[in-house]
Amino acid sequence: MIAALLLAIAVGGDTPLDNPDQEARAQSLMREIRCVVCENEPVSHSTADIAVDMRRTIRSQVAAGESNEAVREFFAERYGQFVLFRPPTNGAGALIWLFPFALLAVIGAVMLRGAFRWRKSHAGVQPESELQDD
Amino acid sequence: MIAELGHFLAFLALASAAAQGAIGLTEGGVAVKRLAMATGGFVVASFACLIISFVTLDFSVALVASHSHSLKPILYRIAGTWGNHEGSMLLWSVIMAGYGAVAALVMRGDALRDKALGVQGVLTAMSMAYLLFASSPFTRLDPAPFDGGGLNPLLQDPALAFHPPFLYLGYVGFSFVFSLAAAGLLIGKIDSEWAARAQPWALAAWSALTVGISLGAIWAYYELGWGGWWFWDPVENASFMPWLVGAALVHSLLVTRKRGGMASWTAFLAVLAFCLSMLGAFLVRSGVLNSVHTFAMDPKRGMLLLGGLAVAGGAAFALYAWRAPSLKAGPEYDPVSREGALVLNNLFLAVSAATVLLGTVLPIVTEAYGMRMSIQEPYFHLTVAPLLAVLFLFIPFALLAPWRKADLKSELRRLAPAGAISLVVAIAAFAFGHSNIWLAFGVFVGSWVACGVAIDLWRRAGSGGPARLLKLSPGVWGMAIAHLGLAIFVVGAATETAARVERTFVLEPGQTAELRGWTFRLVGVGDVEGPNYNASRADILATKGSLAEHLYPEKRLYPVAGTPTTEVAIRKSLTGDIYVALGDPVREQPGAWRMRISHHPMIDWVFGGAGLIALGGVMSLVAHARRRLKRTSSETREATGSAAPAPDVSPDAKGAPA
Repeated sequence: MIAALLLAIAVGGDTPLDNPDQEARAQSLMREIRCVVCENEPVSHSTADIAVDMRRTIRSQVAAGESNEAVREFFAERYGQFVLFRPPTNGAGALIWLFPFALLAVIGAVMLRGAFRWRKSHAGVQPESELQDD
Repeated sequence: MIAELGHFLAFLALASAAAQGAIGLTEGGVAVKRLAMATGGFVVASFACLIISFVTLDFSVALVASHSHSLKPILYRIAGTWGNHEGSMLLWSVIMAGYGAVAALVMRGDALRDKALGVQGVLTAMSMAYLLFASSPFTRLDPAPFDGGGLNPLLQDPALAFHPPFLYLGYVGFSFVFSLAAAGLLIGKIDSEWAARAQPWALAAWSALTVGISLGAIWAYYELGWGGWWFWDPVENASFMPWLVGAALVHSLLVTRKRGGMASWTAFLAVLAFCLSMLGAFLVRSGVLNSVHTFAMDPKRGMLLLGGLAVAGGAAFALYAWRAPSLKAGPEYDPVSREGALVLNNLFLAVSAATVLLGTVLPIVTEAYGMRMSIQEPYFHLTVAPLLAVLFLFIPFALLAPWRKADLKSELRRLAPAGAISLVVAIAAFAFGHSNIWLAFGVFVGSWVACGVAIDLWRRAGSGGPARLLKLSPGVWGMAIAHLGLAIFVVGAATETAARVERTFVLEPGQTAELRGWTFRLVGVGDVEGPNYNASRADILATKGSLAEHLYPEKRLYPVAGTPTTEVAIRKSLTGDIYVALGDPVREQPGAWRMRISHHPMIDWVFGGAGLIALGGVMSLVAHARRRLKRTSSETREATGSAAPAPDVSPDAKGAPA
């Protein structure tokens, strides 16, 4: 264990995983977990030592077969929800995710209803001439 | 003396702006025009005094002492004027008063102009009062220090020197659109004529904002060393919200101008755009966000800025609620028509802006209640990006559909070739572009929009062929270029986001790393000395097949400010950038350096596309200005029987001695 850790330090801790799918998954996780000593930087961007540690942790967890959700939870438990760039999808967090689509759906539905009603009562509207120069 | 003169001129500007507001909103007349020009003159002169203090390194001025340094190159001494809270607030006032002065010069003298200049005067007076009483840039230091405290070295960059002026030309430019909307509501006239007069101002502000945001993105790309160009950072969002609403506004103004429709919604957007600009100023300047932009870590200033937003926004929305119901509705139109398509444009842009607003403000609100959370890139990538992508799918339809009523089937038939071409291009992109579905979708959207623009131009050229294309009005070309720019941007943004690779390596001299077929060998790291910094510079030999190039990324330390910066090395090509940022030496491993190497495919399409969007906006603006000038001069000819230009007709003419 200690030997493995020392080895990790010796190669800088940024050895990509052998499995390309796992590596891609690890990299996308690195882009959405905050480097805790930086200003608004994900760990993928940072050259800070702690970011190297966090990247290593992400890779080892992904290599151990943990799901994305489990990795996120691990970091949220350690550093707080703040560390995740992706807001939670459960509880009140779901409202944040639903907001744009609900807003679009509600306004869209009202507008569509109005449009259908209007169409029923106005069948004979003619198009304007095709080309206007601006 | 210069600083005192500047301070005095600022007070004159405050008085002049207040008088401009009072007279503009009451009796109006030529006095308002003169006061608006005087306000502009005073603020510009005051700003010039501050620039002189910065250029001559007058360290007895507190602001110069803390933000400049004798070792600083001249360009950054000038840019240092606005690279701090107080100076940037004076720049804000300069641009606000400047828009007022220009409007006084070019607008026809009537009630709309007088009222608009009046509202602009009130806004300018508010911003000057805030400047003078809460963040004066002219405060003296006694005794004066021998040298200054320097400027944040991250900000010593040509793109960033011009980023704030353009950003403010946009942000603050919306103030005059706001004033025009308030004036239109006051006199109860938001119609086609009003829209024709407001549109050039909206286009000017929105185009400048596009340039300002792009310069910021370019700067972030190569100066922050993170390799991306847009991070959905709250500060970026603060400028993106007015941009989205401004984009909605320039389209709804089109409907109001051409058809007299959507008048009330257009007025609402005109008010909203500037309110979001003020909200942006509050977010960025108050210190509620932690980032490089936050100069003023001062809650009192934050409260004042928020108060200003509440007063100006509250008054305008109250006025809107009172007057908007009495605005005349435009002629009716079928839901399937150009109007209908532009309504969809506004719906999607408004929902996107609301989403960005939620994602930006909610973490600040929850933090106040002790719950820290982050809403960043993953959220916006899954909400705003798809919303905008769906919106872009409607663009070709909006370009081709006639006003009032369109036939969906014939439009779709006309667009069939665009769909077929885009599908082929997207499949090719999928095959060659790392089999990434998002990349392919982005390429499809971009190609679809570009083909739509081409079909539209082809149709407008008609039987005249390509020769007729050159004769199309600048307005048509502006529209085509802006949408073509958008298509290029979308292709670049989707490709870059989906297919970039970034990796951190630790290299000792002689060791190599590999990325996207390139081999990078660290030749060595040496020390170099710049004019006001020391740097470690790596020499990296990048090779791929027969290609070989040395890259020299630097890690700079500015001793005066004590902060390190990264100077990345970039190898550009049409297909993308190879990008190397030097990190820190590895403590446990002497001689080894950490570095980030990345490949950013098609990154220049992102910036080039954004540039074309701004260019298209400017061309439309020129088309408007030309049309209005032509009209004004022909009206004048009719009225006076001579060709002499007389910019002020009616009510000014009576009381004016000259």
